[in-house]
Amino acid sequence: MRKRPLLHTAYSQDFALFGTAVQRTFVLVGLLVALAMPFLVQDDVLQLLGLACVTALGALGLNIVTGLAGQVSLGHAFFLAIGAYTAAALAGDPDGRTIGFGVTEILVWLPAAGLVAALAGMLVAPLATRLRGLYLAVVTLGLVFIGGHVINGWSELTGGPGVGRQPPAPSLLGLDLNTSDAFLTRDQKLYLLMLVLLLIGALAARNLARSRVGRALTAIRDRDIAAGVIGVNLARYKTVAFGVSSFYAGCAGALLYVGAGYFDPTSFDLLLSVQYIAMILIGGAGTVSGAILGAFLITLLPRLTREIPSLLPFISSSPAESPNAYQLETVLYGVLIVVFLIFEPRGLFGIWIRLRNYWKAWPFSY
Amino acid sequence: MKRSIALTLAAVLAAAGLSACRGADNTDAQNAGGTKTDVGITKEPCPKSEHKDRGCIYLGIISDLTVGPFHALAVPITEAQKKFWQRVNAQGGIGGYDIDAETYVRDNKYNPQTHNEVYQEIKGKVLALAQSLGSPTTAAILPDMKQNNVLATPAAWTSAYAFEDNILESGANYCFESMNAVDYAKDAFKPKSVMAVHLAGDYGDDAAAGTKIAAEKNGITFIDVKTDSGTDKQAGAISAIVSQKPDLVIITTGPADTAAVVGGAAQRGYTGKFIGTSPSWNPGLLQSPAAPALKALYLQTAPWKTFSTDSPGHKAMREALGSSVTPNDGYTSGWVWSYPLLAALKKAQADGDLTRAGLVKAAKSLTKVDYEGMLPDGAGNFAGGPDGQFRQSLLYSPATGNGTTDVPLVKDYFVGPTAKDYKLDKPCYEKL
Repeated sequence: MRKRPLLHTAYSQDFALFGTAVQRTFVLVGLLVALAMPFLVQDDVLQLLGLACVTALGALGLNIVTGLAGQVSLGHAFFLAIGAYTAAALAGDPDGRTIGFGVTEILVWLPAAGLVAALAGMLVAPLATRLRGLYLAVVTLGLVFIGGHVINGWSELTGGPGVGRQPPAPSLLGLDLNTSDAFLTRDQKLYLLMLVLLLIGALAARNLARSRVGRALTAIRDRDIAAGVIGVNLARYKTVAFGVSSFYAGCAGALLYVGAGYFDPTSFDLLLSVQYIAMILIGGAGTVSGAILGAFLITLLPRLTREIPSLLPFISSSPAESPNAYQLETVLYGVLIVVFLIFEPRGLFGIWIRLRNYWKAWPFSY
Repeated sequence: MKRSIALTLAAVLAAAGLSACRGADNTDAQNAGGTKTDVGITKEPCPKSEHKDRGCIYLGIISDLTVGPFHALAVPITEAQKKFWQRVNAQGGIGGYDIDAETYVRDNKYNPQTHNEVYQEIKGKVLALAQSLGSPTTAAILPDMKQNNVLATPAAWTSAYAFEDNILESGANYCFESMNAVDYAKDAFKPKSVMAVHLAGDYGDDAAAGTKIAAEKNGITFIDVKTDSGTDKQAGAISAIVSQKPDLVIITTGPADTAAVVGGAAQRGYTGKFIGTSPSWNPGLLQSPAAPALKALYLQTAPWKTFSTDSPGHKAMREALGSSVTPNDGYTSGWVWSYPLLAALKKAQADGDLTRAGLVKAAKSLTKVDYEGMLPDGAGNFAGGPDGQFRQSLLYSPATGNGTTDVPLVKDYFVGPTAKDYKLDKPCYEKL
């Protein structure tokens, strides 16, 4: 059996956490590299990587409802906003200009943000059980507009557009994570926190996918009528999918702006939802590693494109001339989505499969 | 194959693409002249400099260059600032250094998170920020700026900056500007009621708060009407004006919104006066259908004089920009905003301390700034704190001219009794 890792003779093998020994090695090596990061790179890169970890957490959530259960949701920004404002309000300064209760303990506000968002997700779920495809997408689109209207108008909570408010300042069991100390800088601490949370989130998402619930969701994605016929309770499982997905989004929203230190209600617009859709499409829908890959790529992309003008001299660095580096940065993002959908619909995950198959059969690679 | 790929990919991207190694922090250095320096200053000449014998001081610019709501204004602001520092270099630089404000120009898309991201990216390479555009965006980086002694010139006029040592603001803030507008109107039009039509946020709320304070002081009834950005969203504001018939409306919105409100109210028979704060206007409105209404009803306050004004500073600016540019007050603003930073750099150099801490200290000790006649004497008193804030503004009737070269001035630099006596003890918008 050792030489035939893909030959499964029992269900337990089919649903193992890691399919092969190679997978396990990869995870281990990756984990070591990730843990070494705080001591290898500068704080600004670390902040970006921390943001990528949180974004990946949010993408994992969307992946459960869209990738796994096949329910296209454009409402992810709405759930991110609910999480962000729940956490910010709980942890906010009671004497500040915006609503705040002064509970800075992350073990309180993070689960709270997730639960409030999950509750909202479950309230929306009845819509999802009656609609599907484009209709569901349009309804969830409505959420983003309703949510946007509320948070833009409710300036006691959000500060209002153009003012904004501070995100929660995390402290863990009395340990302040929001300031630098003698051992670790603020960005190092936040990165480690976000990495650990991503690991927990990724493990939970993977476990969900290989459980009874996960199989039910996959059945709904592949054909909901057939799933209903074989006994999957559609209403119940769609509700679960929306609830869990929103829980992830709520947690991600709560942490999303911690690194940046400020956020504005106009950030939670349709574009944010579309970005998350792009992440799971570019990464490869339906897989945990795809969602994480996509989130990292989309988060790091702006930073990488800013380096391009130094390599291509015909692109101006002056905003008054065209084409300039800033326009390129904006356009490249759209181009990337188009290119991926046309040439590699399976996303970054598909590229990985191709690479793997190439080397597996080497030197007879075609 | 799961998380690992993501993490290794991240590792590769981070390590190879950015090649940022930890532990390479800048340490204090002392150059030949005895001036102390730390971050953002090199002995090597600037990349684009013609003076190969000079060192280089790097300044960062974070602006709204592509998709944000202010990019039409931000691009000329940025362009003017580049030219401003090129002129400083041509005049001999500062203490054997040229200034480079071109290498680290970044786009914030008017989003606080992006703003912080690009700030983090360039912060280790620049001495100070020659521009940080927007108030929510600047608020995102302010704690870090304070921690690391980074000085910045904002592209905004909010009263909150009076309380920040790391920010060099020029001209009267929105709050004083609208106080002056009400004080002027009190003498000119004798209004019994004033309505503030404004956007939410530091910009609109600050101006509305100034209006409220001035109205209370002058015994005028104050009505507060908040509106949203977008020409299709002004119906509420228009009906509020038409139904409540205030004698005076102080309007703080975007230019297109101003045209919609003034045009809409005039069409429905409103004949009172409008006074807008500076960002509420642009010359393009003269081509809009609301132009006749604007001509009849609209006046505008401004923190400084327009592009084609005759002063040494304005002249230098027009020369630096060349004759090919279309007159735009974005250029004027970018140019004016740069003077305090120049003064701070010169002062720090004279004190022999061009470190970040030295620069912040020098900025805080400035009692006046030479604006080359673009602002009157007394402007730029940063040592005075909130009390030293410049409070004079001007009044234009922009719609009666041609918009670019002919902008009729209604009242030259003045400070009304309200702004003069007002004790600025916290940001105005908190009092609305």
